[in-house]
Amino acid sequence: MKRVWTLVVAATTLTVLALPAFASSGGHDEAGHGDAHGQPKDKASESSEFILHHVADDTEFEFELPFVHLPPIHIAELFGKEPGQGLFIEREPGACTRPVEKSQEAFASIFKFMNGCWDLRPTKAVLSMWIAMGLLALILFLGRSRDQNGVPRGVFANIVETLLLFVRDEIAIANIGKEEGPKYTPYLASVFFFVMCTNYLGLIPGFFTATGVLGVTIALSIVTFIMTQVAGIRSAGVVGFFAHLFGDVPTWMKPLMFLVEFLGLFTKPFALLVRLFANMLAGHMVLFFILSLIFVVHLGAAVVSVPLATGLYLLELFVALLQAYIFTLLTALFIGQGVALGHHHHPEGGDAHH
Amino acid sequence: MNTLVLASSFTDVKPGLIIWTWITFIVVLFILKRVAWGPLLKSVEDREKNIINAIESAKRERSEAEKLLGEQKSAVAQARQEAAEQVRKTQADLEKFREDLMGKARKEADDLKAEARRTIEEERVKAVADIKAQAVQLSLQVAEKLIAEKLDDAKHQALAQQFVTDLSRKPPSA
Repeated sequence: MKRVWTLVVAATTLTVLALPAFASSGGHDEAGHGDAHGQPKDKASESSEFILHHVADDTEFEFELPFVHLPPIHIAELFGKEPGQGLFIEREPGACTRPVEKSQEAFASIFKFMNGCWDLRPTKAVLSMWIAMGLLALILFLGRSRDQNGVPRGVFANIVETLLLFVRDEIAIANIGKEEGPKYTPYLASVFFFVMCTNYLGLIPGFFTATGVLGVTIALSIVTFIMTQVAGIRSAGVVGFFAHLFGDVPTWMKPLMFLVEFLGLFTKPFALLVRLFANMLAGHMVLFFILSLIFVVHLGAAVVSVPLATGLYLLELFVALLQAYIFTLLTALFIGQGVALGHHHHPEGGDAHH
Repeated sequence: MNTLVLASSFTDVKPGLIIWTWITFIVVLFILKRVAWGPLLKSVEDREKNIINAIESAKRERSEAEKLLGEQKSAVAQARQEAAEQVRKTQADLEKFREDLMGKARKEADDLKAEARRTIEEERVKAVADIKAQAVQLSLQVAEKLIAEKLDDAKHQALAQQFVTDLSRKPPSA
C-alpha cells in the first residue's frame, strides 16, 4: 500500500511538473511549421498548437523545464544550417526552400526528398533516441555487477537479466522455437530495449517520445520486415519462400493466393508500425489535452484533470512496457512464421504450427 | 487550417529520420550484441548448465550413495551371516572334535583296560602255572622229605601230578 502511494505521488509530481511546460509554449521558434503570424490566438488553439508541437518531430529540441527557459538545442543545425550544407543536401537547387504542393502536405518531407531535398540532419527524435540509448547504456553499466557464480547482484542487474530472459524464453523461444530462437534473441532483445527505453524516456517530463514519430516506427518496421523475409528465405530457401506465397491451393486460386500472401507480407509490419506509433502518440496527446483543460476551461479543472492525468500517466508507464513487448512479440511471431516455412515443406518437420 | 498543417507534422515521414533510426538501431544492435547480450546470455547459459549439472550430479551421487549404502547393508548382512555360519561350523567342529577326542580317549582307555586285563590274566595264568609247578615241586620235596628215601621218581611224580591236577579241578573255595 505504501508503495502504491509512493507511485501515485511520484506520478502526480511528474504530471504537475509537465504543467509549466505550457507556460513556455509561446517562446518557440515557429520555423518547423507555418504558423499564421499576427492572428490573435485563443487559448484552445494555443494549447493544441503547443501539444502538437510537443509530440511532433522537429529540428530543435527544447528541454521544457518549469519556470526556467533553457535555450533550445538546434540539433539539426549542428549538421548543416542552410540547404546544401553538411547533411542538409540539396540535389536540385531550390528544392528545400520551395514549399510543397497542397496535395503533398501530408507527406511533405517525402515529396521534398523526391524533389531532391535530402534533409538527412538528425532531428529531435534522433536526439531523444540517442539520449534513450545513453540511458540504456547507463542501466546496462549499472547492471553489470555479478557475484562469483554469475548471479546478478543489485536492482539494475536483476531488471536487465529478468527482461533479457523474458525476451529469450517467452518471446524468442516461445515463438521461434528452441533451435532457432536463441539465434534471434540478441536482435529481439535489442528491439525490446530500444523501444522500451525510447518509450520510457518520453515519459520523463521534458523529454520527447521518439517512438511516437512515424519515421522511427517505419524504420523499425522495415528492419523487422527484412529480418522476417531473411528468416523465411534462410529457412525455406528462395524457391520454398516464393512457393509458400502461392500456398497449398488449387491452381486457379494461386494468383489470388499470391495477392493475399504478398499483401500480408507488408500489412504485418505496417500494423506493427502504426500500432506503436499511434499508442505512443495518443497516450501523450491525451495526457496533455486533459492537462490543457486547466488553461483552456478554468483553473478549477485541475481538480479533475490532474488526478485523471496521473491515472493516465500510470497507464502510460504500463503501456510503454506493453508496446515494447508487443512490438518484440510480433516481430518474433513473424520471424517464427518465416522459420516455420522451412519445416513446412519437410514431411516430418517437427514444430511447424500450421 | 493552421491545425491541419500542424497535424500533418505527425504524418510527415522524414527520410533522414528513417536513416538515422536505422543507423542508431544497428549501431545499438551490434554494440549490445557484443557487449551486453552476448556475455549476459552466455553467463546465463553457463549458469543454467551449471545448475543442471549440479542437479544431475547430485542425483547421480545420491543414487550412487544409495547403491553404496545398499551394497554395504547387504555386505554387512552377508558378513553377519557368514560369521554366524562360521561360529556354527566352528561349534560343530569343536563338538565333533571333542566327541572324537572323547571317543579316542575312551577307546584308548578301553584298550588299556583290556590290555591290562589280558596281561593280568596272562600273569595270573602264568602265576597259577608257576604256583602249580612250585606246588608240585614243593609237595614232591615235602613228600620226599616225608617219605624219606628213594621213591620211584617217575611213579611218585605222576601220582603227585595227579593229585595237584585234582586239586586244581576242585574249586579252591570248596
